[in-house]
Amino acid sequence: MTYLEAQPGTHPLTPICGDQYLNLLVIKFYYCAFTLDTLVSSAVAIAVTLALAFFIASRLQPGVPSKLQMVLEALLSYVRGTVRDTVAADATFVIPIAATIGMYILVANWIDFFPLGFSPLLHPANSDINQTLAMAVVVFLIVQGYSIRVLGLRGYLRRFTKPFELNMFMRAGYVVFNIIEELVKPVSLSLRLFGNIFAGFLMVYLLGLLFQVGGIWLPLSLGGLVVWKAFDVFFIGALQAFIFMLLTIVYFQQAREGLEEELHGAHAPPSDRSPSVGAAQLSQHQ
Amino acid sequence: MNHAIAIAGAMIGFGLALGGGAIGAAVGDGLVGNAAIQGISRQPEAQGRLTAFMFIIVGLVEAMYFINLALGFLLVTSFAAGVH
Repeated sequence: MTYLEAQPGTHPLTPICGDQYLNLLVIKFYYCAFTLDTLVSSAVAIAVTLALAFFIASRLQPGVPSKLQMVLEALLSYVRGTVRDTVAADATFVIPIAATIGMYILVANWIDFFPLGFSPLLHPANSDINQTLAMAVVVFLIVQGYSIRVLGLRGYLRRFTKPFELNMFMRAGYVVFNIIEELVKPVSLSLRLFGNIFAGFLMVYLLGLLFQVGGIWLPLSLGGLVVWKAFDVFFIGALQAFIFMLLTIVYFQQAREGLEEELHGAHAPPSDRSPSVGAAQLSQHQ
Repeated sequence: MNHAIAIAGAMIGFGLALGGGAIGAAVGDGLVGNAAIQGISRQPEAQGRLTAFMFIIVGLVEAMYFINLALGFLLVTSFAAGVH
C-alpha cells in the first residue's frame, strides 16, 4: 500500500501521563493520550487557514477586490446577514465564531485533495472524532452561556419546558426530552462531520485496495481516485463545512427561544426574512 | 473461535446497519428531490434558492448514513477484531 500505511481509524497515540489504559475485557479505554496524527493534521490546517486569512488581509483592495478576497467577503457577508436575520442584530460575537468555524473546516477538508498518504501523521483533520467533537463541544458551551446571558437563569431553565402553550403538568413531562434534545446537539453536530469525512477517507482506502495488483497502481484506480476525491473533497467537504457553520448559527438562534414570548406575551411569527438559504427554516427541518 | 464469531456477528450487524441506513437515506433524498421539483415547477424563479436549500437538506439527510458507515467500520475493526 503506497497511499495509506495504516488502516483508517487507527491513530498513533502519544501518552502524556503514562501509557496505561483501562482494559475492560474487550473495550480498551485509553486515557491521558492524544492522537498525534490529528494534532499534526489540524495544526497544518490551522496554519494554512491563518496564512490564507493573513495573506488576504495584507493585500486588501477596496476598489477592485481580488478573487480570494471576494470569496472571503461573500462568506463573511453571508454569515453576517444570516446572524442578523436569525439570531439577533446585536449578537455580533456569533459572526467571528461561525465564520472561523466555517472557513477552518472548509480549508481542513479541501487540503485532503492532496495525497497526504506520504506521511502516516497526515490525514484529513476531521476524520478523527476527537477533532470534530472538540469543535462541537466548544460551540455547545458557548451556546449555553449565551442562552443564560440572554434569558437569565430563570428563562434558561424555563426554556427546558419548551412547548410553552401547554399547561404546567404537561410541560414538566417535556423536560426530559428537552434535555436530551440539548445534549444530542453536539453529538450529532460532531458525528455528522466526522462520518462524512471519515467515509470519504475510507472510500479512498478501499479504492486503493480494489484495483491494486502486485503493489502497482493501475491507471483506472488513479482515475477513480481523482474522480472520487474531486466529488468528496470539493462537494461534500464544502457542504459539510457550510452545514456545520449554519447549524452553529441555528443553535444560537434556538438559545433565544422563549425570549419574545416573555417580553410580549404572544407568539412571535416565524421569521422568514432570511437572505438566500434560510437558517430559520432549516431549524425546523433538522 | 471467539474471534471468528465476533467478526461474523459484527459483519452481519454492519451489513444490516448499512442496508437500513441506505434505505433511509434514499427515501429521504427522494422526498427532498420531490419537494424541490414541486417547488420549482410551482415557482420557477425560486430555482436558485431551492437548489441551494435542497443540497443542504441532502447533506443533512445523508449524514445519518455516513455516520452509520463510519461508526460501523470503526466498531467492526477496533472492537470486534479485538476479541480473542
